[in-house]
Amino acid sequence: MASEPQKALLFAAAAAVRLLLFTAFPSLPSLLAGRVEVSTPVTSFKRLQEGLFLYTRNVSPYDGGVYHQAPLLLPLFSLLPNPSYSPFATNVFYTMVDLLSAYALMQIANSGQATVTRLFTSSRKELRWSSVAIAAGFLFNPFTVATCIARSTSALTNLFILTAMAKASQGATITFVLSMAMASYLAMHPVLLFPPLLILCYDVQSTKMKASPHTFRFIATHSRRLIIALGALLYLSKLLTGSWDFLGATYGVRLLLPDLTPNVGLWWYFFTEMFDSFREFFLGVFWLHVASYMPGLTIRLRKQPLFVATTLTGIFAIFTPYPSIADAALYLSLVPVFRHLFPLMRYTFLASSSILYTSFLGPAFYHLWIYAGSGNANFFYAITLVWSLGLSVIVGDSLYAALRDELDVERPELRGKEVKRI
Amino acid sequence: MVSSLVLFLLNTFIAYVAASSDYYERLLIRPLPQSSVLTSFNFRSNESADAFEHQNFRYFPRSLGQILQHAGTKELHLRFALGRWDAESWGQRPWNGAREGGTGVELWAWVEAQSEEEAFARWLTLTNALSGLFCASLNFIDATKTIRPVMTFQPEGYHANSSNLHLLHGTLPHEVVCTENLTPFLKLLPCKGKAGISSLLNGHKLFDASWQTMSIDVRPMCGPGGGDCTLEMEQTVDMVLDIDRSKRPRDNPIPRPLPIEEIECDTSKGYNGGDTCYPLDKSEEPAWNLTEIFGQPLKGACPLTEQSGEGSMTVCINTPPERILQVNTTGQYEEAKLASDTVRCYKLPTGADFDLVLPQQRMTTGLVLTGPQLFAARSINGHGQERGSVQAVIKNPSSHSVEFVYLESLPWFMKPYLHTLRARVDNSLENPVKETYYRPAVDRKRGTHLELRMIIPPASTLTLTYDFDKAILRYTEYPPDANRGFDVAPAVIRLINPGSSDNKGIYLRTTSLLLPLPTPDFSMPYNVIILTSTVMALGFGNIFNLLVRRFVGIDEVQAGGAGGLQGVLRGKIDSLKALFGRG
Amino acid sequence: MALISTLLALRKDARLLKIPPYLSALCIIVGVVWLLVLPLQEYSRNTYVSENALLPGQVHTYFTGSEHNIFRAYRHEVASLGDRTTQERNQRLGDILRSSNLKVATQKYSYATSGRNISDENVYAILQGPRADATEAIVLIAAWRNMDNEINHSGVALVLTLARYFKRWSLWSKDIIILISGDSTSGPQAWVDAYHNSHNPETIESLSIKSGALQGAIAIDYPAGPWGHRYDKLHIVYDGVNGQLANLDLFNTAVSVASGQMGIGCTLQRMWKHDDSYKERLQTMLRGMISQGVGHASGPHSSFIPYHVDAITLQTVGDGWHDEMSLGRTVESLFRSLNNLLEHLHQSFFFYLLLHANRFVSIGTYLPSAMLIAVNFSITSIALWVASGRAGKIPNPASTVPPATPGEKSTSSITTKTPMTVAKKDGMIALIPTALLQTNERALFLPLAFVLATHFLGLLPLYIFNNTHSSYLDLTFTIVALLSTLLPHLTAFSLKRFSRPTEQETILIQCFSLLLLGMFLAALATLNFSLSVLIGIATSPLTFIRSTKNKPVSGALSLLLAVLNPMVIIRGATFYFGQDIMSVLVKAAEGWHVWGLWTQVVVWLVWWPAWFAGSVVVSGGLFA
Repeated sequence: MASEPQKALLFAAAAAVRLLLFTAFPSLPSLLAGRVEVSTPVTSFKRLQEGLFLYTRNVSPYDGGVYHQAPLLLPLFSLLPNPSYSPFATNVFYTMVDLLSAYALMQIANSGQATVTRLFTSSRKELRWSSVAIAAGFLFNPFTVATCIARSTSALTNLFILTAMAKASQGATITFVLSMAMASYLAMHPVLLFPPLLILCYDVQSTKMKASPHTFRFIATHSRRLIIALGALLYLSKLLTGSWDFLGATYGVRLLLPDLTPNVGLWWYFFTEMFDSFREFFLGVFWLHVASYMPGLTIRLRKQPLFVATTLTGIFAIFTPYPSIADAALYLSLVPVFRHLFPLMRYTFLASSSILYTSFLGPAFYHLWIYAGSGNANFFYAITLVWSLGLSVIVGDSLYAALRDELDVERPELRGKEVKRI
Repeated sequence: MVSSLVLFLLNTFIAYVAASSDYYERLLIRPLPQSSVLTSFNFRSNESADAFEHQNFRYFPRSLGQILQHAGTKELHLRFALGRWDAESWGQRPWNGAREGGTGVELWAWVEAQSEEEAFARWLTLTNALSGLFCASLNFIDATKTIRPVMTFQPEGYHANSSNLHLLHGTLPHEVVCTENLTPFLKLLPCKGKAGISSLLNGHKLFDASWQTMSIDVRPMCGPGGGDCTLEMEQTVDMVLDIDRSKRPRDNPIPRPLPIEEIECDTSKGYNGGDTCYPLDKSEEPAWNLTEIFGQPLKGACPLTEQSGEGSMTVCINTPPERILQVNTTGQYEEAKLASDTVRCYKLPTGADFDLVLPQQRMTTGLVLTGPQLFAARSINGHGQERGSVQAVIKNPSSHSVEFVYLESLPWFMKPYLHTLRARVDNSLENPVKETYYRPAVDRKRGTHLELRMIIPPASTLTLTYDFDKAILRYTEYPPDANRGFDVAPAVIRLINPGSSDNKGIYLRTTSLLLPLPTPDFSMPYNVIILTSTVMALGFGNIFNLLVRRFVGIDEVQAGGAGGLQGVLRGKIDSLKALFGRG
Repeated sequence: MALISTLLALRKDARLLKIPPYLSALCIIVGVVWLLVLPLQEYSRNTYVSENALLPGQVHTYFTGSEHNIFRAYRHEVASLGDRTTQERNQRLGDILRSSNLKVATQKYSYATSGRNISDENVYAILQGPRADATEAIVLIAAWRNMDNEINHSGVALVLTLARYFKRWSLWSKDIIILISGDSTSGPQAWVDAYHNSHNPETIESLSIKSGALQGAIAIDYPAGPWGHRYDKLHIVYDGVNGQLANLDLFNTAVSVASGQMGIGCTLQRMWKHDDSYKERLQTMLRGMISQGVGHASGPHSSFIPYHVDAITLQTVGDGWHDEMSLGRTVESLFRSLNNLLEHLHQSFFFYLLLHANRFVSIGTYLPSAMLIAVNFSITSIALWVASGRAGKIPNPASTVPPATPGEKSTSSITTKTPMTVAKKDGMIALIPTALLQTNERALFLPLAFVLATHFLGLLPLYIFNNTHSSYLDLTFTIVALLSTLLPHLTAFSLKRFSRPTEQETILIQCFSLLLLGMFLAALATLNFSLSVLIGIATSPLTFIRSTKNKPVSGALSLLLAVLNPMVIIRGATFYFGQDIMSVLVKAAEGWHVWGLWTQVVVWLVWWPAWFAGSVVVSGGLFA
């Protein structure tokens, strides 16, 4: 699709922008790393540094309340020179991560799975943006740039999620399962993406090798592979840290939310104000709520698994315990892949302007609460509500568009007409 | 210099004397600059080890003894402190800081136990029992406020015959020490504040002092070779009284402006006149006496003290020899001069009041005060309720390098980043930190415990900084005065110098810190629950509504009632449009 | 869902597009009227102290008698220091403070802004409260020179006397810090920055002694010479840098102590005579809004407020019968109140407009006006967005009602002209113009790029004005003003020349620029209400301008916009208030470098770009 020079130019420009920001404003990374919107307790780079510090001094980083990230990050980052003295290597690393993610995104776009799958062909399939444009949308999305500059580890998670999608949409099963395992290992909730992506993988394979493989066996093998991969990663971590403590300190924290540091999500203030006796109950309910979307979407949109996966990333960006703008960036940069749905979306302007408003009002209100002391927590809380609402409107609207698109294929005579749901 | 050296000898001498006699008390008075006076009370009572084992208490208070036995505590140190010691003008700390604690309450003890868990269980027993005994909130010393120091504290007693001891340490920086703590303290004394120097201790004056600390230390002492062991309890009360303030009568404590004629004006000033007066600071030592500054007389000697010898000299005052002292009593008393007359001690009369009177006097020679070996100050940098950094500045004025241990015990909601810890000495490049012990905090389970062994070169300043984050708590975890902030315990500094003869060690404590945390809105848990749930319901409802329904063309459904509410609305809108249509 | 879909159906109705302009106009009018209504007694409230711990004026004050003699002596001392060097001066002041047994230290500072060098020295002392454990402190400030650059003789003398007097009390539960700053703005800024370690150690000396968290600060401005001067009223200054305000409780305490306990009248915002009439209240409010909007440091206290340390300045004004001792007693009583505080001041309001010493309007009441003004831009931008989705002009289309209503005729009449879609609905037929059913695609790239570029362009003047030498500022201003008047036309011309924006793109440019403006103003309204309102009103015409092919109209419009140029407005404002533009610019640059003033940022990155985009859109019509 995209001509090579275009691609090269784009990547060069993106890398240049990031490295320029890193070098021109040396205080910017630490500033952004301190922003609650960008880095959460489970992705913050400062906490990663602390973990590294303890790890390199043979203190278990999990015997403390600061480090909640995956153990395998420690040896990885201990290879890089200490970022507080020579940050260049780290900066390059994160830039590379972004570029790779963009590359994966281009693969997704090129695979055309967004419009044409095995069982479904959109009637608007000619309507699409070039993969370069989509990658540009990702690379120059201010949220992505901020995440990269803040060196939050969610950039890695995003990379693996995108790779998993890309490989699935190419039918490369092994790499798909591996990156899937890696993503779930880093952030736990991406494991919910496995079923839709597995379906996608299945479809692609069967279209490739004209005969569809045995469904049950296919599922079984790949689930087994995923479990093996995950188990291997966890066991490796156990060997690395010498005990299973890390499970509680990483996934336990994501599950039980002991650290109530503010973020853009809905959980923190809810559980700050929650009565102690009901805390466990609501934790259960909230997690159930997050998980409940996966089966529903997968079944209803069986024909468009890639869209299901995309929508799920959107769900993650809203309803997980520690969301940050990095998750929103991932979703918002996946949506343009479904360019053909835009004409059917109805609240684009409304939703996007609410996102825009909140991304400016959020920091302002946070400042009022934390620094000026003239506002209270409700200011920032209200903004997180609006933010989540805006995102969920986009999710719902795109879902509507996708369903409407299917309808147009099923019943061409209804095209461009008012419809209603019964 | 001389005098304070002597004072030092005096302390050690007291320690020696103490070992022999069973009960011993001494009051040491020392006038300080800026019309303040340091008075340090010291009480010792011994009990032979086997008598203690058999619950046979004479001078040792039974209440405390039984607690110690029940909690398996071998050595105990309890501190109540208030105010700040002004090292610049008051010089070295009494007992080299070994008998004082950080602001609030501080407790550390060596508990005998088989395992960590058992030790902690016994520790809880101890704290709860002591809180009952001393009317202090010691029972709030829980796991999050307890640490197990490794370098900072050394046992003072003789522990050869007891095995697997565990040192536990806890602080309550926010505890306000007051008279309700003094009363049980006096109750432990054999003379119960009725006679002897303890009869001077009066809550109103004690807690009006510029600086005051009470301490209780229990330790086993044994002779050479571990024979004839005794259990020694030492109680001290040190305070710095502002003479002018303490001299005010209790019924009229207000410092009204003095009548103009009582103020010494600087007549050399050109503008000096009837309505203009440049005040001169007093060059004379103020006049005062014991009864005045303590608000009550000293009611003779405590009969349990020795009748003769060093131990009977229970009131000592450390002034230049030229300072005029008048003893005002009806009974028999003896005076003894020590240390080239800079220390004068008195044997109190029995049954008769005793008073020391110091008239106003212009002094030619002052008392030489040795400065402390280190100055330490600690403060929080940055503002806002999100993060900050702690900065500790430690000065070494002396001409030799000093090695010391720096102990921080931080609450769990203050999350320090050890990788940001920087220690710089202004005049040398080498890292002063020689050894680090760090136990990170775990949310709601335990606090941070940081110990650093550092060396500070002569005549230099060491700056220690580290960043920290402030956690936001659940709204039930905030105290009623949430917006005041939380107190952070003072840092403890122990000087390691091989020269020190006694095993008490030299200590130094910084002031405590106030840590403001971000606060949620306490008034609206319900609103939050409702609003958040609404947003979730909207997202959920919208998406599943799309998922479970199927589309049909608008012209395929019967309008009107068919669609239920939808139909009705549709009808409404249609008529609305009709309206528009006409216009 | 049904409701939404029907609303969608409505959205497709062209008549809706006619409403927004009126709606916006309504918003603006209501917003302004709202503001004017506030001073009415019905809409403002009496002030009250909501922090129970403060107990203002409940204690008897003893600062009298021989203290007066000492005060006079100190005043002579201070007067004799007038012509000394800073070092000598601070040495002497330090000695006086030392003689009352306080810990004294000094701090050197120097700032370089617009070619000038502001450097001086602060001297400060710490009174360690006998009941305090160095965790909290309150500050008593007297700047050596006040805002009008006169020596603060009696103020400094009073602070010295009070320090000596306070030392005798044993009831202080907080440390008291006595700060005598070199000047009224940079000195306190340097000190408070250093206190929180957010200073630059090269130019500003670090503090050698510190105390605990600052709980409040009171500054005294009493520039009466060595022979004293009896004053009439206390002028309480309460607004800080960037329009942040001190907690209302502090202000109320000061007022109730001064007027209630000491019988000293209080005034604010330079309203020397305030007969509680509507006009006066309105004037007070507007003055307050202007000084808040400008966001400059209005006294020694201003620098403390950004650090969440509530602070006010007490200024003596007029000729009356109150003497220095009554001011001293006011401060004493105020400090006793602050000393009672158990928590940091948080109960009362931080957002308020004061109409009178004891009447105020709280945020809930006044915020709507700013929000309405901000919202009108959003409304217009939404309208423009919808409009941009339209395929050209559509004649008044039919409604979807079945042709049983009189709508029928028009319907059929249109049928002949426009392409119609037949919609069957329960047996009845509706004819809908096809154009209404499909919103055509929007070309977003050029508009987005243009608007973003405009906003980044604002950085240029921002940099220039903050880094030009003071002697060239005047010239620079003229040049930039000229350029910014011409630039829109050049841009419009070159746009027409090279990229030929379609009508839709022009609409979208305006749409986005208004969207951003609305958003920024809404956000700003919560940070600095007054600034948001002022800019909102100044930019309100941008809502109504449209690009037309009609040359004379666009000519007139671009003339109007030329008048609305931010720089022109600023020039006019300075002229109106009798300020010299030069000094204003110098102050602004100083604010940027010393106090961290954000007003310029708002002017250059919010106001100017919006104006620029608007005038480009308009003058596009000239080159059509």
